[in-house]
Amino acid sequence: MATNAQLILTSGDIAGDPVNVDTGQITLTKAGTLNDLDQSTGLSRVHLRSTTNKVLLAANAEGDNLAAKVYVINKSTDSALYVTVTINAQTIGKLYGGDFMFIPWSQTDTSASIEVAATNWTSSTGDIPVEYALFHEDTDFLTNA
Amino acid sequence: MATTTAQLILTSTDLVSDSLSVSAIATLTGAGNSTGLTLTGGLGRKKLASGHAQYTLFDGDAYANGAHKIYLKNTSTTASEYFTIEINSEQMGKLYAGDWAFFPWEANADTNDIKIDPSDDNMTLEYMLFIDE
Repeated sequence: MATNAQLILTSGDIAGDPVNVDTGQITLTKAGTLNDLDQSTGLSRVHLRSTTNKVLLAANAEGDNLAAKVYVINKSTDSALYVTVTINAQTIGKLYGGDFMFIPWSQTDTSASIEVAATNWTSSTGDIPVEYALFHEDTDFLTNA
Repeated sequence: MATTTAQLILTSTDLVSDSLSVSAIATLTGAGNSTGLTLTGGLGRKKLASGHAQYTLFDGDAYANGAHKIYLKNTSTTASEYFTIEINSEQMGKLYAGDWAFFPWEANADTNDIKIDPSDDNMTLEYMLFIDE
């Protein structure tokens, strides 16, 4: 039940030597093993209009020391509209229109939820579409551990 | 202005009944504008030889607040070896062997350092920072 993640970074002019980084297709595995991650939220979508933090993915304290990968993309076409992504009130960064992130996620405790805010949203900017997916393992729902 | 793109491809034919095929391409630009990022630290490697102590990979004090982007990859081939990634002492996640991460970074405070903590000796992390001036 392999899920593969690949990143390709390219630039012909950011430096004198072209950038061409390709991770190849990396199979998402459980913590410390070669067993595939077998659970997912699927690709989900919300329309964000809250300027304060909203829980996108709630941390499960039992997830500590288990593998979890999170994909989030700001689907807005307005490059000025951004989504602030935080974990336990610590800002990870801002996803501007079109930006995405793919990170491992330690659910160290129930405070480590992934939260998002449409920080510069106003009633005239329109909602910010955000898509996200979680790939993970779970101690309560084992399938091939 | 430089043009740098990041493409993500997520695929699975058997995780769920419907095949998964997600592709996203982003041009890396400055905060709130369409100007391509023009600076990079280049693709680097850091080997943490012994003691596997926490190491500051990017110092928040060294960069202005902006739409920086970070790429990280654990080059280990031993499944149990991981790097713990922290921002300002908050644990983001553990990057296991072969795993990579790509995320925005604000560097909005002197304490907003990106730190890595290898689980074992002699582990190597590949990294790249795209800098918003």
